[in-house]
Amino acid sequence: MSTDHDLVHVSRLRPGMVLSDELIDSNGLVMLARGAVLGEATIASLRRHHIDMVPVARVEAHVPPDAEAVRARLDYLFRKHVPDDDNDWAGGLLRRYVEDYRMERGVAP
Amino acid sequence: MSAALTIDPATLVDGLDDLPSLPAVVMELLGSIDEDDLDISLLARKVAADGALTAKTLRLANSSAFGLQVKATTIAQAMTYLGFQATRNLIMSAAMTGCFPSGRCRSFDDRAFWRLSIASAACARVLARHLHFNQDVAFTAGLLHGIGRLVLATRFPEAYELVLRERKRLDAGLIEVEQAMLGLDHVDAGVALAGHWQFSDTLRQAIACQRTPETPGAGFLATIVHVAAAVAHALDLAGDADEMVPPVSSVAWTALGLSEEAWLHVFRETELQYEEMSAILMT
Repeated sequence: MSTDHDLVHVSRLRPGMVLSDELIDSNGLVMLARGAVLGEATIASLRRHHIDMVPVARVEAHVPPDAEAVRARLDYLFRKHVPDDDNDWAGGLLRRYVEDYRMERGVAP
Repeated sequence: MSAALTIDPATLVDGLDDLPSLPAVVMELLGSIDEDDLDISLLARKVAADGALTAKTLRLANSSAFGLQVKATTIAQAMTYLGFQATRNLIMSAAMTGCFPSGRCRSFDDRAFWRLSIASAACARVLARHLHFNQDVAFTAGLLHGIGRLVLATRFPEAYELVLRERKRLDAGLIEVEQAMLGLDHVDAGVALAGHWQFSDTLRQAIACQRTPETPGAGFLATIVHVAAAVAHALDLAGDADEMVPPVSSVAWTALGLSEEAWLHVFRETELQYEEMSAILMT
């Protein structure tokens, strides 16, 4: 299904890896759903079922946001906003929250 | 700025007959947004007669925003799974995004326009969920709030071309430049279209008050649309290099009453829904 995965031999599976496709047994039944996070017990069970290769989602390296670029773009987007204008505080708050969001501060998704 | 460009509000309404017409069934759906006693199976059959519209509607219905466990394969099924009102709004969204001709007005970027509209719709829907407001009505209002810009670009391409160039030159708010050069703005044009296409009163009111949600009687939908549009601009989802966040009404912002934590969730959900919806609506 998805192209952003690696086929990993069962001996190289590590807890925490994520299944990129569902695993179907010889009877056509779903053993594990797509997106399942592999644990020690699951990996042992896969070995017992003589499963060879398992499709594992490729983890993209997380690129931290470029603070300067984020701020520069927000400065431009909010260029008509007057920071000290009491009538425009909602705009200021929106800007602050979007900056926090872009900088991945605060609540995790 | 030349006064010769000024558009007589009367011609705005008359000229709307030149605008593309929506499929008859969509007109019927639009007029019925507040009603709940329609012949649903008859409407489902009428929509099903339009293959392209049906395909687009079903892709929307099966997108993850609606979390269906079983895929809907017919309009009637979508209505059963999602409910009539949700399906009706999906049909309208699918029909609207395909019905205006592009390219009449060179400076008008209709792809960016629809990206912003879809982002506003996604945000309005997310906000509505947080606030226990009707999500489908919010989505439609978000999608259509800026439709007056399409009306002006389609009906008065030469005059609007000059407006857009002037806006770029001055780096000013669009509404202000429209007002100064045309004597009316895209909110007026949107309200005129809402009348012409027989939008429900709720929807028309939200379009009319999108920039002034603090007006007494504007309604909560106008508040949602106002803030949703500002968020869509602030999240930079239109992909417009000249993007500018319009003023945000403090009254509207306060009325939503969301914490920062809630807002960060709203941004995230808006971006996710936007991505999926735009992939479907902009094909």
